[in-house]
Amino acid sequence: MRPSRIHKVISIYLIIGAVFLPACARASQGEETAADVNIELTVDPSPATIGEATLYFELRDAQGQRIEGASLSAKGDMSHAGMMPVLGDSEEIGDGKYSIPFEWTMAGDWILTVTGELPDGQSFIRTFELTVSSE
Amino acid sequence: MENHRRFDLLATSFPGRLLSWQWGRLSFQIILLILAIFIIYDGFTGPQLAAANNATLLVWVHYRGFVILSLLLIGNVFCFACPFTITRSLAKKVSSHGRRFPNVLRNKWVSVAGLFILFWLYEWLDLWASPWLTAWLLITYFFLSFALEAIFHESPFCKYVCPIGAFNFTYSTISPFQITKRDSPTCRTCENKECVTGSSESLGCGTELYVPVIDSNMDCTFCLDCARACPYSNVSLPARTPAIDLTTSRPPRWDLAFLFITLTFMGVMNAFGMVAPIYRLHEWLAIDLKIQSEGVRLLLIFGMGNIILPMIVLVLAAWASRLLNPRASAVKLKNIASRYAPGFVPLGFGIWMAHYGFHFVIGGLAIIPVFQSFVLDHNLTILGDSPNWDVGFMLPSSWIFPLQVAVVLIGFAVSLYVIGRVSLQNTTNPQYAFQELLPWAITLVMLTIISLSIFNLPMEMRGALGFGT
Repeated sequence: MRPSRIHKVISIYLIIGAVFLPACARASQGEETAADVNIELTVDPSPATIGEATLYFELRDAQGQRIEGASLSAKGDMSHAGMMPVLGDSEEIGDGKYSIPFEWTMAGDWILTVTGELPDGQSFIRTFELTVSSE
Repeated sequence: MENHRRFDLLATSFPGRLLSWQWGRLSFQIILLILAIFIIYDGFTGPQLAAANNATLLVWVHYRGFVILSLLLIGNVFCFACPFTITRSLAKKVSSHGRRFPNVLRNKWVSVAGLFILFWLYEWLDLWASPWLTAWLLITYFFLSFALEAIFHESPFCKYVCPIGAFNFTYSTISPFQITKRDSPTCRTCENKECVTGSSESLGCGTELYVPVIDSNMDCTFCLDCARACPYSNVSLPARTPAIDLTTSRPPRWDLAFLFITLTFMGVMNAFGMVAPIYRLHEWLAIDLKIQSEGVRLLLIFGMGNIILPMIVLVLAAWASRLLNPRASAVKLKNIASRYAPGFVPLGFGIWMAHYGFHFVIGGLAIIPVFQSFVLDHNLTILGDSPNWDVGFMLPSSWIFPLQVAVVLIGFAVSLYVIGRVSLQNTTNPQYAFQELLPWAITLVMLTIISLSIFNLPMEMRGALGFGT
């Protein structure tokens, strides 16, 4: 193969790669939205261990006021492909606090995606990363 | 091996005719090529969450699961349908007649190095957790296979370089089908040897295997070019006793012996990478030995487990074998190692099957919601308004560990059978045969115990968030 041909072939591969590189954002990429909501996550038991758990969330607005009347849902994904996500919906405890019954089905790294809807209809998405141990 | 009475897959109307049809392989390759393009597309544009992306799911769960199943039930099906070699014909057209692959590289050391680097990168860069890197891995594969096919004569990428090929070649030795001639006289009178040199209809064997003397699936890509090129239709794909070629004598080669052994160790180490003790080891290396780089720590761990340890085991077991059998005192270590190393293949296969089968069983059905999500992302609702994440496992979770134990123990039993047969080939004295196989049997027992202990531990899927988080 002549060098000029090799260069052409390499160039074609690089162009193909470059076309794909600027990844188009898709709906399922779940970018975080609605920056005016502060969410604090507490996990029980803590640190997180494999088995049943409860996720507690505290919601505050930009002024630090607790937000009541919101609804939250959580989706826990493991970092490995092929692991089924764990889903849960919130119950309002009161005073801007919410709980979601949950289960860490396997030890390892988890990405928790929390989707919420505020009383005024605004929605938001937040992600949390945490490691669950086996013992 | 002439098999007039054996079931011949190529003699069937389906899939035999389809497989040996001129465009048979290409049609399967195009299907996998489309799948590869889909993987690359979703890897770059889809959600960068491994569990929600088709790229990571199809490559690290489905591909590995189906490879194991197809090797067990049919043969080297994925090399047959490999989309990376679709560029072979293209490369041959754009290049002039290439040079021969260098003699010094005409062995398995390059693919062993490739396997080591692939498994190291897999752990270090968390390839399994990155759709983007998974897509780049496929592009790299396309590029390498095309470049090597274009530069060199034959198919050096498949035979000497491709780590996946080395894996598939090794474990296709336990497969129930093997290419062979239909009858010997036809081959003896054949002048042009089209099965290896090619014909106007088809390329010859890319890995330069000559059908009349094939006695193993090793190095056979199942491409069936030999069957298409043979003007006498004298190539068949008959059923055979699985793993039979592990007991046939082959020229002594350190590279091949090491490949068989190290793939078994790699199976153990790959599973070890997913259980708690490896994190203790990381902590010890990071805190006590002050090795802060995860890449260096993994290089040490996998260098020890995948290269140094199997090398020591191979040489030590061969040496002990020679020591224990008084009649083998003049035999070269390479000869003994080459005879017994194939015995590790069934156990290695059992370990890989237990690991990849685990992921396949618990994650195989995840393709349904992940693909639904992909379709929804493109504003199509033909598969529903929302992904169904509640698809569950393929088998009850309580079955998984017993099945893992079963496949590892079956692999162990077949390994023992293989080394038993091998030990009796060179001596009629059962006591000497037993003494000679003893070091290999002990090694197999130890590897079986270690792998079962690992599978007994709860799996932990860490890495993507970084060590210590």
